[in-house]
Amino acid sequence: MNQRLTYTATVERILEHTADSRSLFLRLSKGTAFSFTPGQFISIAIPLPNENRVRPYTLASSPEDDGPLEIVFNLVPGGAGSEYLFQRKAGDQLNFTGPFGLFTLDRAPEVETIFAAEGTAIAPIRPMLRRALAQPPSAPLKLFHAARSRGELLYAEEFEAAAGRCSKFSFEPILLQHPAGWGGRSGGLVEHIQELFVDGDKRRDRAFYLCGVGQGVIVLRDLLRKAGYTRRAVQYERW
Amino acid sequence: MGWLGRIDLTMATLRVIFESGEPERVIEFSPSKAPFQHDGEPGSILDVLLAHGIALEHACGGNCACTTCHVIVKSGFNKLSEAEEGEEDLLDRAPGLTPTSRLGCQAVIEDEDAEIVVVVPRYTINQQVAQPR
Repeated sequence: MNQRLTYTATVERILEHTADSRSLFLRLSKGTAFSFTPGQFISIAIPLPNENRVRPYTLASSPEDDGPLEIVFNLVPGGAGSEYLFQRKAGDQLNFTGPFGLFTLDRAPEVETIFAAEGTAIAPIRPMLRRALAQPPSAPLKLFHAARSRGELLYAEEFEAAAGRCSKFSFEPILLQHPAGWGGRSGGLVEHIQELFVDGDKRRDRAFYLCGVGQGVIVLRDLLRKAGYTRRAVQYERW
Repeated sequence: MGWLGRIDLTMATLRVIFESGEPERVIEFSPSKAPFQHDGEPGSILDVLLAHGIALEHACGGNCACTTCHVIVKSGFNKLSEAEEGEEDLLDRAPGLTPTSRLGCQAVIEDEDAEIVVVVPRYTINQQVAQPR
């Protein structure tokens, strides 16, 4: 019987992004080795009265970090996992297995690559970009992050700073609605990607990393693959 | 034969063979009563197994985001829902892939009289989280 190794981590710190989204920073006990590839998730045990459920949480931190593991999530009313995690306090312990998942990037891509995410689904993209930007990339990397409000454009300052340092990397935040004074893009992620990379030209030599909650990612996947991008060039994870 | 007798005759069966050597299990159930618990597609192999105390591993919560619930269908492959693109994309990268591999969280048993036989590969099961119904 092949049993997974279960890790125990302590909630070291909680960061509130908005009223209903936060990050937990999980510290493994000293000397515990845990390695993962950017984009992977851990499977956290959620103890419920009559069962043990597991729920996946993508690591928003980087393997390169020496610090705690970061997970970022929304409060989903009625969602067993997020309600449980929202009640955790610093010092609480969590058990998890992992890492898991095939939506990964472990080196800078050699072709122009578009990263597109909605809301907290930016989590896997953040360590992917950190990895891809560790050395000056040879091809352009473009990040499109869509959110309902500015507060939900998580890590925006970090991405802006990275774009300032690296001319091959660009960051385009997108807000669902266009608030007063907003100089960036607004509307749906799908429409922007379609306009720029499907209708905009005939080039089909790009790669895509797409992540989101719900059907939007599937719509994007189908749009891009039908438009002529190869199956392997369109990587995605749908939550 | 009365009406109740007919219902008994139209139960679907799911026979589960464990590569790890645990005794096999035969589950009788009515697909129309799905979902049986919270994870995976309603009426999926994962749904049926979890509801019957068989802890098929499903690290992503049954969301079609990993391959830990990979099963090999020995019989009744055509009685399962067709795999969608998302499942195919993941299966392509599943260790130990076979022509009749499916993700347990996505393969739905739809026929009321389906007889399905699946093998749970050694590396897929996680006994640790086994819970009785």
